[in-house]
Amino acid sequence: MGEGIIEKDKKLKEGWEGISRFFRANSLWMLMYCTGCCAIELPQAMTSRYDMERLGMGPMATPRQADVLLVTGYLSVKTLRRVIYAYEQMSTPKYLVAFGPCPINGGIYYDAYAVINRLDQYLPVDVYIAGCMPKPEAVMNGFQDLIDGIKNKTADGWKRYRDNYEWYRKNQIESLGELRIKDEFHE
Amino acid sequence: MNKHIESVTEAVKAKFDVLNTEIVRDTQAAVDLKPGDVHAALAFLKAQGFRQLSMLTCVDWLEDKEFQLVYLLFDWDKGVRLQMRARLDRDNPKFTTVTNIYPGAQYYERDVHEFFGVEFEGNPMSYKQLFLENWDDIPPMRKDFNSRAYSDKKFPVREYKKDFTKAGDGK
Amino acid sequence: MNLNEILTGTLTGLIILVFAFVWQTTLSGVTRKIVGRFQKRYGPKFYQEFRDIFKLLTKTGVTHGWVYSFGVMMALGGIMGTAMFMPVMRFTAFPGLDNVFIYVYLFAVGMLGMAMSAVGSGNPLAGIGVMRALTQMVGYEVPFLVVVLAMVYGHGTASVSELAAVQQAAGIASWNLVRMPIGTVVGFICLLGMLGKKPFETFIAPAEIASGPMVEYGGKQLGMLMLLHEFSIFIEVSLFVNLFLGGAVTVVGFIIKYVGVFVLASLVSQALGRFKIDQVIRYFYRWPIALAVAQALIVVFLGWGV
Repeated sequence: MGEGIIEKDKKLKEGWEGISRFFRANSLWMLMYCTGCCAIELPQAMTSRYDMERLGMGPMATPRQADVLLVTGYLSVKTLRRVIYAYEQMSTPKYLVAFGPCPINGGIYYDAYAVINRLDQYLPVDVYIAGCMPKPEAVMNGFQDLIDGIKNKTADGWKRYRDNYEWYRKNQIESLGELRIKDEFHE
Repeated sequence: MNKHIESVTEAVKAKFDVLNTEIVRDTQAAVDLKPGDVHAALAFLKAQGFRQLSMLTCVDWLEDKEFQLVYLLFDWDKGVRLQMRARLDRDNPKFTTVTNIYPGAQYYERDVHEFFGVEFEGNPMSYKQLFLENWDDIPPMRKDFNSRAYSDKKFPVREYKKDFTKAGDGK
Repeated sequence: MNLNEILTGTLTGLIILVFAFVWQTTLSGVTRKIVGRFQKRYGPKFYQEFRDIFKLLTKTGVTHGWVYSFGVMMALGGIMGTAMFMPVMRFTAFPGLDNVFIYVYLFAVGMLGMAMSAVGSGNPLAGIGVMRALTQMVGYEVPFLVVVLAMVYGHGTASVSELAAVQQAAGIASWNLVRMPIGTVVGFICLLGMLGKKPFETFIAPAEIASGPMVEYGGKQLGMLMLLHEFSIFIEVSLFVNLFLGGAVTVVGFIIKYVGVFVLASLVSQALGRFKIDQVIRYFYRWPIALAVAQALIVVFLGWGV
């Protein structure tokens, strides 16, 4: 009897998740964190040539409203802090798309003292878009990959972040030192 | 050479003990001074019309064991720039603040202190952090700072199973 | 009013609510597509707005205290309550209660709920946005009410359904669009202000104050806010259709009038830039108010358009 109810409950939850995924896949609101040069490829992808809106994507003003965080380019230590703040403010489910080689392995900034090498050590990345800078075709292809990932449950970065929170936080502290900065600009 | 820049260089030469002058470009000259003369020279030039301190930066001469401070001044009326340069001892880099002449130097001094470790006496604000948050090594713009080693120590590197750096030799 | 009337009225009101949601949400999507075509884009699917709203409702939402959570419910409830009173075609949920002033008062409940909730989120940009929204409300309410009062004086009734019925007597010639052309122009400008469309988009201003009152909303609360937005557009456009375009007798007439007004407002919005808040007030208190007073004087003293 009890198992029957649990089974039914599970099925109901799965059904709800399936419906949710259908809506989420086709309505992605972006938060653009324009850290580097890859940001210049977004206007082409958004305007009449490639028209991102036909996939249901659109720009949003604040982290709270957005579903996708776009990290466009290299991340310095200072910006990584702000990206972490922004990512943790977003409401789940949330996705993260990294542009260009810099979040993958550091790119041309591999030996810089202020630029991190791998973004996936600090935040879970759902889709990487390669190319320095990626063409708008590649950007659109990456977004299509994200949509497919949401549909077949592979884009689950927010779950990984929740489950492995201690590991991510340990890496963040190791590279950044204190996560919250206390100086005259943060009072 | 621009006649304004010529006249002002001559005026500085007449008034102070100038070690060397250099023409950087048509509207810009550089003057090397002793560290003790810099404040008097800046005050003099500000009265001459160089109202803006465009930049204060530092050069690390590792072989000479010296830091060189560069004050770049700009005259809005005549459109000419003048560099005032002075060399400090690299082992004990101390200088006096110019915020009483150019208040805008506040942030440049913080910048130079953070990236080169030069201390500006009389400017307590210059010890606060500006760009680098929680920096834990020697100042990064010094020539003896190894950026690669710091990056490898601090930020994890991605491991590749295949060596891609040798893949593209055209065969 | 006996129990039977209350029950049928509530039922009609609920049907009007469902109709308002489905109709306005579809139309918003269609308008996004039309705007996309005007910008030489393909545009989203026509049901994109449904996807957005349902996606937001499936997300988790953080709360910023009970004022914030309660304010959203109060705003949504207030606006839905107002929408129930709206006469659509020949259906009126509560006959005799659809006075013009009902909308003015009930609409304020929704707006105040929204203001309370946004300020409760604690973000300074939300405070700025709310302040601008209320300031702009002061701007457009005055000319709009002057025109509406002139209309009430002229037709001798304040009930929206009766005002619509009066205009249906002799075809297009009896519409207030023809009877009071100046008043209609003022009404349309005020409608742009109510809808928050481009020249009067001061309180949203995504690039300036990060979408104003909505700055701290996410997930479920933002979904409810979008629902609220659709209902309030429905109220505002229906009110304009009922007051100036003679209401509607058939579904086709209603759809044509409604689509015409809303699409025109959206296209006007695409062609213009954004005013600053002081420019908005200066604008509303110069031309629309002068035209509104002129229209009122014409109705009262010359008797034209009655």
